[in-house]
Amino acid sequence: MSALVAFERFEVARLLRSWKFLAITVGFPVVFYMLFLNDHSPGKVVDGTVTWRVYLMVSMCSFGALVAALNAGGSRLSTERSSGWARQLRVTPIPAWSYVATKVTASMVVILPVLVLVELVGMAFGGVSLGVASWFELTGLLWVSAIPFAILGVFVGFMVTAETAYPVVTALMFVLGYFGGLFNPVGHMSPSLQTAARILPSFHQASLGLAVLDHRGLGIEDALVLVAYAALLGLAVVWKHRVEESRGLA
Amino acid sequence: MVDLSETHRTDSKVRPSAGRASSVVRARSEVVGGDPALRFDGVVRRYGDHVALDHLDLAVVQGETVALLGPNGAGKSTTISLLLGLLRPHAGSVEVLGTSPRQAVSQGRVGAMLQTGSGSGLPSGVRVGSALQLVRRLYRRPAPFDLTVERAGIGALLGRPTHRLSGGQAQQVRFAVAIAGDPELVFLDEPTAAMDVESRRSFWRMMRQFGEEGRTILFATHHLQEADQVADRVVVVNRGRVVANGPGATLKAAVATRQVCFVSRRPDEHLLDRLEGVTDVTVRGTGVTLDSLDADATIRALVRSNVEFSGLEVTGAGLEEAFVALTGCDAAPDQGRAP
Repeated sequence: MSALVAFERFEVARLLRSWKFLAITVGFPVVFYMLFLNDHSPGKVVDGTVTWRVYLMVSMCSFGALVAALNAGGSRLSTERSSGWARQLRVTPIPAWSYVATKVTASMVVILPVLVLVELVGMAFGGVSLGVASWFELTGLLWVSAIPFAILGVFVGFMVTAETAYPVVTALMFVLGYFGGLFNPVGHMSPSLQTAARILPSFHQASLGLAVLDHRGLGIEDALVLVAYAALLGLAVVWKHRVEESRGLA
Repeated sequence: MVDLSETHRTDSKVRPSAGRASSVVRARSEVVGGDPALRFDGVVRRYGDHVALDHLDLAVVQGETVALLGPNGAGKSTTISLLLGLLRPHAGSVEVLGTSPRQAVSQGRVGAMLQTGSGSGLPSGVRVGSALQLVRRLYRRPAPFDLTVERAGIGALLGRPTHRLSGGQAQQVRFAVAIAGDPELVFLDEPTAAMDVESRRSFWRMMRQFGEEGRTILFATHHLQEADQVADRVVVVNRGRVVANGPGATLKAAVATRQVCFVSRRPDEHLLDRLEGVTDVTVRGTGVTLDSLDADATIRALVRSNVEFSGLEVTGAGLEEAFVALTGCDAAPDQGRAP
């Protein structure tokens, strides 16, 4: 057990020490929040009773989680697989599954401070004010519902090579961000784009957070879609990991 | 090009029978006793239609340092992958330290340095010291950190980020990673591939020291000189089979060690065949080639015999010739390859 704890700490420390990772993960959501805040008037109600300043904050939390997960998993994992480090770990005593498990949990660990940071920016620059309970509820909900993102990141890491990782990760960031309604209120999008948004986990993750703030309660549909995504991606990762293992690659 | 034959090279061909070579050598290696460190029984491994290992048999006794020598594509890396449980055999059985390869790995009794292609094989974004610390913590009973650093000679590299290492330095660090868990058995797949001559020498010195502490070491190489100088025993593999097996010196002896060539106007085959050390006589017109187990004695006897001769040449059959003879591989790849 202490071996796995050491591995987890190593992974998290490595992420937090990487300037490139931090700049992208923190930079994108924070800068986009500042940029898009005045696209609409911040106080305008855009979704139920939720104003644009709050909507964008929740959206950028989702986006931050997505960026963190895709970069922590996708790019780094593919690099490690091609550098031979992933294989080296396979010849140490830790079990094979621990590599995947550690990657997913390390993404989850770094996602939490990203959420808090975006919320602080929302508070400081967007003028968002919520009750203490709401802050905790929102943060907790967004964090737990980021699990599919963390698994997605690892899955992408297994599917791409070190060379294709960058374009694939970037494309996924913007497809899931834009079409998931994170840059614009979904209500303002065309009907076909709204339908597209409902297929994506990014939409449902943000929607889960917005529903709480709108006092709509827990969005059951959102939760189910996210659970389904987590399960499917989890199975895909296990499958891919098994295939690589049988070829002696993992 | 490292010259392995200690004598003057000529362009003459050494081509003794491969069959004889392996049978002679095999008989000797079976005398070795002790607890088995690893065992391959009739192992077959295919990649699609390609047969990488073709009923390979191999046994290594605890405490031995064994070289797995063969040209590229001979099946060396596949063998090591099977020994680590990274691959499963399609037929036959693999046993490591009395158990399955995976079990031996998860018990932390095995360490390995794998081939990494162009990658460093190390985690990015950390210093060498913290990567090594991590690897130690993955084992239940690791060697003391300082001891591992000393054994691998990487004291000066600990503070260096892993991406700022030369190819040779990265390999030294990967050796430290391989031995950090204080394993009983170590596999090294082409461990000196990116090293210059100097670091190669010091690497083998450190590895020998580690081996002298009672460790079992199996390393793959296509550097003939390394296999000969470093290993207690050399196992030559080609096309997925063991073609020879024995101490480097025995391998050399197995293929008629020297050839004595000269020109003689009226060579008397019977007389020449009775000269000291001679195992075979080939006469082509006036050209004579004597295969000899003791070239010095043969030449002395030749002079005493009053046979007239000219243009005397002695061709060495070093391990390289043995390798060529055994594998039928003309281009014995022994260049000190730069990465």
